[in-house]
Amino acid sequence: MTKVFFATDLHGSEVCWRKFLNAPGFYGASVLILGGDMTGKALLPILRLEHHYEVMLQEHRYVLESEDEVQRMERRIAGHGYYSVRMSRDEVAELQANPGLVERVFQQQMRSTLEHWMALAKGKLGGTPVRCYVCPGNDDRPETDEVIVQSETVELAEGRVVEVDGVEMISTGWSNPTPWETYRECSEEQLTTRMAPMIAGLRDPGRAIFNLHCPPYASKLDEAPALDRELRPLQGGQLLRPVGSTAVRDAIMRYQPALSLHGHIHEARGVARLGRTLAINPGSSYEAGILQGTVIEIDARRGVSTYALVSG
Amino acid sequence: MSEATGYFVRRATGLVRAWSAFDAFIYAFFSVNFVTLGMYIMSFGPFVPQGHLLPAAIITGIFVTFLVVVYGGLIATMPRAGGDYVWQSRILGGGIAFVLAVTGWWFILWHWVPIYGNILSVQFFAPILATAGRGDLAQWFSTPAGIFVSSLVVVAFVAYYIAIGMERYAKIQKFCFWGGIVALGIVLLLLLIGTQGQFQQAFNREAARLFGASGDAYTQTIEASRKYGFTPPPFTAMPLGPSILLIPMVVFYLLWPNWGATLYGEVRGASDYRRVFKGMFWGLWITVALSVLFFLLVAKTMGWEFYQAANSNYWATIYTPDTAPKLAVPLWPYPALLAGWLVDSRVFQVILLAFMSLWFWGWSGTVFLSSTRVIFAAAFDRVLPEWAAQVSPRNHVPTGALLLMVVPSIVVSALYSYYPGFATYTLDATLVIAVTYVGSVVAATILPWRRPRLYQSSPVARYKVGGVPLLTLAGGVTLAFLAFNLWKWVTDDTYGVNNRQSAIYMLILYALALVIYLIARVVRARQGIDLAKIHAEIPVE
Repeated sequence: MTKVFFATDLHGSEVCWRKFLNAPGFYGASVLILGGDMTGKALLPILRLEHHYEVMLQEHRYVLESEDEVQRMERRIAGHGYYSVRMSRDEVAELQANPGLVERVFQQQMRSTLEHWMALAKGKLGGTPVRCYVCPGNDDRPETDEVIVQSETVELAEGRVVEVDGVEMISTGWSNPTPWETYRECSEEQLTTRMAPMIAGLRDPGRAIFNLHCPPYASKLDEAPALDRELRPLQGGQLLRPVGSTAVRDAIMRYQPALSLHGHIHEARGVARLGRTLAINPGSSYEAGILQGTVIEIDARRGVSTYALVSG
Repeated sequence: MSEATGYFVRRATGLVRAWSAFDAFIYAFFSVNFVTLGMYIMSFGPFVPQGHLLPAAIITGIFVTFLVVVYGGLIATMPRAGGDYVWQSRILGGGIAFVLAVTGWWFILWHWVPIYGNILSVQFFAPILATAGRGDLAQWFSTPAGIFVSSLVVVAFVAYYIAIGMERYAKIQKFCFWGGIVALGIVLLLLLIGTQGQFQQAFNREAARLFGASGDAYTQTIEASRKYGFTPPPFTAMPLGPSILLIPMVVFYLLWPNWGATLYGEVRGASDYRRVFKGMFWGLWITVALSVLFFLLVAKTMGWEFYQAANSNYWATIYTPDTAPKLAVPLWPYPALLAGWLVDSRVFQVILLAFMSLWFWGWSGTVFLSSTRVIFAAAFDRVLPEWAAQVSPRNHVPTGALLLMVVPSIVVSALYSYYPGFATYTLDATLVIAVTYVGSVVAATILPWRRPRLYQSSPVARYKVGGVPLLTLAGGVTLAFLAFNLWKWVTDDTYGVNNRQSAIYMLILYALALVIYLIARVVRARQGIDLAKIHAEIPVE
């Protein structure tokens, strides 16, 4: 029996990543699986002025007088899952005028942060029997994979079949289209095509784990606030709508894997039974530094024996 | 002058823009529900004979504002959490959270069903049937069978709302909100332009036409009340002490601006906190303002003495039928019904009542929605069995949670209707939810010390008063307010819940929740799941 800890959608939160790496000791898990969306969504310039620094965090202006204060603020910003960059007034103005430059700075920050995360993983997991699989999600740039591939302790799971203590697992972080036109989106047909070779490579899909970032359509694991054209939640966020993937649902219903793991929709934390498949979306509260996850005991022969959603 | 800029975002899922605070207001306003809950509980005013509803509503509004500050803080600190159970479980621990939330948001809501049934009976079935000339049927709805049938209608509708899903229910709610607002506007307009003389005439006309009353039914109502022993004080008499004693009643409607409030999307900062706060704040205070306006218009057009006397007479027929005066209009004195009589048209009156009932239909789904959320959360935490959170793959109906609500609700409704004395236990309905609030407010009050990382990362951390976190300060005031209400409920005869049976019944509910939790701990431990670790924080370093 293998104890697996699965979490997803950390979105750059270093607090959550550190907790994720400590989960084996805390829950007694021997396998770590991280669903998609590792990288942060926001970039905060820390404005370098003549004698001090300034930064706006959560709509509050902080004046930082010393290097120590700046470093503490940088850690705090990282805790939220945001990236921070020290910049002059001119550099900030250049960023504001040039969206391409913003993308490049994001790219640099993501890479350096991920490299730091991989180093943390090496420190925590290196030399232990714990195996750690990561599959970037639709919000993660393609370069994310390059950093993970170079890690000695973290294995890239995207697009292949991996064996988790005798249980086969397929993974993809691609999703059906979203209003944000993110990096790994495709049509439902293309998603089916993307999953097909992995499924074909399974010895027994009925005993496998489908680690698919996007949740199955209309499973309650995919209910998100309905948005208007301006991306404003309708009716104060009370109006929920299924936004999952029909391709993912069809694959699950057709092959009936023992377990399917999902993320993508942070507020749709839950568990669903789709035929014989146990489908889980542990949700995400990364911005609060809470690591939502699920602890699962799974066996190659008997499938899932226990599971629990946790908030660590 | 600040030079720091905001932040840059990239293409990423979930980066929604701020929603309209007005939408949040609508939900809060509907939850407080001036008509369905407010008008109903206002009719209990004569139980504190010298008290006055107007100052009671304002004072309650002031104190509930602190509750709004607390819940706004919890929502901004843990967005998307979904309510008391999650907040309490993360701050106080899973056991306390389960016992308080399950009792307050699941078990006690079984008891709200017959209360809803009773309200539906007196605000919908009875007035519409009476207006349509079926006074006999109208009165049947105040019999045990009538209230039970009304409760079953509530169960059926609420189950339907759950079954159709949030998207369709939210649309129904919005329609009901606007329809209800228009109807309420008409009621207030009638009271504004009508004179007391016209109202007396209309009341006497309808009492005679619909119920065969003779003579000056308006004056008879006031005199009957005096004979019964209740002399309504004039509207201008507003003694503070007795009015404060009405607060434990007034909270029946003003305590819920936070019901179902949540926050979606990425938290940008203080503006999100303020938006959540504003939605609930205005939901509360517009209702308080409406209450004040309503009291003034009732006093002007119906006459405050008449309104109080009619309420006193009605409740006398329920609680002291042997000595109760004979009613000229043997119905609950629904203000919308009485105001509608100012227009001498059956069709108009029925349409007005039908539209006023939208206040009920649009809001009633909340009784099971809150329960369903708690049941789901507890099942995901493995305290309840998995089937409790199961959703039918065919029609996406949460069958397990519905079963856990529907069946006990029907049993409780039957007991309420047919078992003399059981109705008293449902008076605990507000009390038990207030206890659950206490749990969340305690959690918020100690949050800065109990979960400092969580607190510091929230936009509310920067709000302090004299160095004390605003959340803690508001929590302290709210706790004092809730403690006052709890103390009055358990010690004062006026509120009907300070009896031994009621206390035992409530303790049984809490004990049942505790037993379920303890059994779950043992069963899950055997399965290799440590429930104590479900909400425990993983070390960061």
